[in-house]
Amino acid sequence: MMMNRARGKIRPPRRGLATDPVDFEEYWDVLAQSLREIHAKNASRLSFEELYRNAYKLVLKKHGEKLYANVKQLVVEHLRVVAIRDVRPLVPSAVVTGGASFGTGSIEKRIGGSSFLDRLKAVWEDHQLCMGMMKDVLMYMDRVFCADHKIPSIYVTCMGLFRDHILRNPQYNIGKALNTVILDQIKMERDGDIIDHATIRSCVYMLEALYETEDEIESEKVYLTSFEGEFLRASAEFYAAEANRLLRQCDAATYLRKADKRLHEEYSRSHDTLSTLTEPKIRAVVEKQLIANNIKEVMEMDGSGLRFMLDNDRFNDLKLVYRLITRVDPEKTDLKTMLCARLVELGKEINRSVVSPVAAAETSEVAKSTSSDDKAASSATATAIRWVDSVIALKDKYERIWSSSLESDKGIQAAMTRAFTEFINLFQRSPEYMSLFIDENLKKGLKGKSENEVDAVLDKAITLFRYITDKDVFERYYKKHLSRRLLMGRSISHDAEKQMIGKLKMEVGFAFTSKLEGMFKDMNISEEMTAEFKKALQQRDADGDESASKVKRIELSVNVLTSTFWPMASMGAEGGHSCAYPAEVEALRQNFTSYYLGRHSGRKLNWQANMGTADLRATFKGVKKELNVSTYAMVILLCFNDVPPGESLSFQDLQTITSIPPTELIRNLQSLAVSKTRILLKKPMSKDVRPTDVFSFNDGFTSKFTRIKVGMVAANRAENEKERKDTNEKVDETRGHQIEAAVVRIMKQRKILSHAELVSEVIGQLKMRFNPDIIMIKKRVESLMEREYVERVEGERQTYKYLA
Amino acid sequence: MAETNSVVLVSNDNFQFVVRKSAATVSPAIKSMLDRRSNFAEARENKIVFQNMNAVILEKVCEYFYYNEKYRDAKDVPDMDIPPELALELLMVADFLHT
Repeated sequence: MMMNRARGKIRPPRRGLATDPVDFEEYWDVLAQSLREIHAKNASRLSFEELYRNAYKLVLKKHGEKLYANVKQLVVEHLRVVAIRDVRPLVPSAVVTGGASFGTGSIEKRIGGSSFLDRLKAVWEDHQLCMGMMKDVLMYMDRVFCADHKIPSIYVTCMGLFRDHILRNPQYNIGKALNTVILDQIKMERDGDIIDHATIRSCVYMLEALYETEDEIESEKVYLTSFEGEFLRASAEFYAAEANRLLRQCDAATYLRKADKRLHEEYSRSHDTLSTLTEPKIRAVVEKQLIANNIKEVMEMDGSGLRFMLDNDRFNDLKLVYRLITRVDPEKTDLKTMLCARLVELGKEINRSVVSPVAAAETSEVAKSTSSDDKAASSATATAIRWVDSVIALKDKYERIWSSSLESDKGIQAAMTRAFTEFINLFQRSPEYMSLFIDENLKKGLKGKSENEVDAVLDKAITLFRYITDKDVFERYYKKHLSRRLLMGRSISHDAEKQMIGKLKMEVGFAFTSKLEGMFKDMNISEEMTAEFKKALQQRDADGDESASKVKRIELSVNVLTSTFWPMASMGAEGGHSCAYPAEVEALRQNFTSYYLGRHSGRKLNWQANMGTADLRATFKGVKKELNVSTYAMVILLCFNDVPPGESLSFQDLQTITSIPPTELIRNLQSLAVSKTRILLKKPMSKDVRPTDVFSFNDGFTSKFTRIKVGMVAANRAENEKERKDTNEKVDETRGHQIEAAVVRIMKQRKILSHAELVSEVIGQLKMRFNPDIIMIKKRVESLMEREYVERVEGERQTYKYLA
Repeated sequence: MAETNSVVLVSNDNFQFVVRKSAATVSPAIKSMLDRRSNFAEARENKIVFQNMNAVILEKVCEYFYYNEKYRDAKDVPDMDIPPELALELLMVADFLHT
């Protein structure tokens, strides 16, 4: 019966049980006396039970309302006394008189302010304590009378009384003074003074504990209604001024550091001085005033802004920028645009720095002869490598910034990728340069590097490759360079080559690399074939074929290349460059041709003399040397076999005998007669080879090596203007075919498609390789229509239909 | 008086009951009487005199305190034995003590 679930419902019968009438006044006098004692902090003399019982009886006898009113009255009277006696003398005079004399010294202000706050705090704590006790004593009234009549409990009411009679005391303006004092103190702290946090904190607690109405609605705390707004306003003002001041006085890094410090300060202030409720609001204020309104300006600061930080690797400052910006703008638009703008700017600078010397070289190229052309070309190679190196360095730098300062932000990464793509593709020669870079690295750069280093270099190349939109152009160059490496045996490591192709395959798929792999396959098959051919020759020797014995002296190693895999055109092989081989060689050549055609019927074998090399043995004044020269050079040198010592051959003679194309002849003569290894003597001695020159065998040639490699001038080099034009034409042609193939594939599948859809599908299919030009697509579609692959749908002009 | 674990409850006919505090403070009224912060005479002396209860009732009250403490979180609690003649008075006291 007395169990918990019955609580609050059972009431003693009011009638009949305690019939004796209660004299309210008598009981109240006792109570009032005691309550006053409580106010005077003399509770220890009182018996709680007695007070409780008195209140209980009064309520029981239906005097609850009167009791409630009387208690209220009593508290009001007390508070009035308190307001006048305790608080008023300490209200800072300036506040009361309207703030005319605010110029008082900060120490005075601080002391005055804090003693006021101290007193207010003491008064408040007193009030709280007394009310707590009264509430306990009058618990029965609260429980029965207040609950029954749905009026706020005595405690809540008395809190309201405190609000009305102390804080909002119409005469003394205590609340306003409180606000002003707290704001003053905070301002002092912001200015670097030291203030008493604890006191302010307890006053804020007081404001937080008080509500506008007796319903105690969370959003109507006195703190929120009368203090916070003012605080935020004052703060906004303060920080707007501060931002202005900082912008004028500081550089970007200092500004950021100050702003960050302010944010921390406000955070800790809202935690240990004010209310945590204010924390998000004041944060918003500071963020708005210090960051959102000004960050752009800060980042644009000359000599210290974002640009400066990026250029000078100010990781910490950048981190700060990032963190602050993240607070106000999760998208970080400004940061992104500025970062990318700088990135593109730097990229363009690299592009420019590369273009200008090359351009200079190219103009000189026209004026000078071929020798300087080659030099310009090889310096262009160096430029290409410099370009790639700079780009990689730039990328490394920004990656570092990105990971260490920008918290590896995804959005920024995307923006950076866009920036790289932009400037790399702005630079027309980027695919060529990139391929040259890889070429260079696979040729010599990798020597002495560990596998991991090789991997790192290739990986970097690949990341740049990713940015290129014209991947097909890259493929073309790569093929060209690869073929040179393979045929001239310049590649150091097959593993590295394979690795590179593997990486490319991962990046753009099988179709891209199939031809490259085909090239490798050709190399392997050729090796086997050479071995077999050699065996066959030996076989024939053993059979006693007389004619073969003459051939024996010369060893042949052939690379049979599938013409679709290899970039024949760019190897200069089109039109079948050939020459008149010396008899011995010619015999061997024919031997192999018949051997090969005997094994594979229906194939055509073209000999590419311009790609090969030969080892020769020569005697210079009795010293035997081994010469490694190109095929053409071999042919040229063999001519001198038939010339008696001291005699010479003119350029014309050589051309007639060898029938080597003039450009090639010039090139080879140059390496034989002009470069460091002068096996031939040229008259007159000059750097260039002219059709009027005369050559003779240099018997006096010396070298400390037995084996000499006569380098071909500029075997690998950047292209000159004409070659580039050719390449571009080739690329366009290939692209045309690819677009047609894509159109046919798509139309075959979809049968009927509108022009716009078709274009977007084509772009979708091809964007892995290059960015198709819309006009080109249109042309290709028209050409397909002419050839009756597709036709327009009648009546709908922009729709095509596939013709099976 | 030092903090102790028990409190003395005194009836109007001067019987004293020593009750464990944890049990007695089931009643919010008793709890606040003993609150040391407000420092009433009861809290100081650790003794509460109930002018409106005789020993019989107060004994029953104390019994309830322990009963309540014992079965506070239990289910299927056996009913407490309440003599009918005390029921009404107990009800009133319960209201008074807010238990």
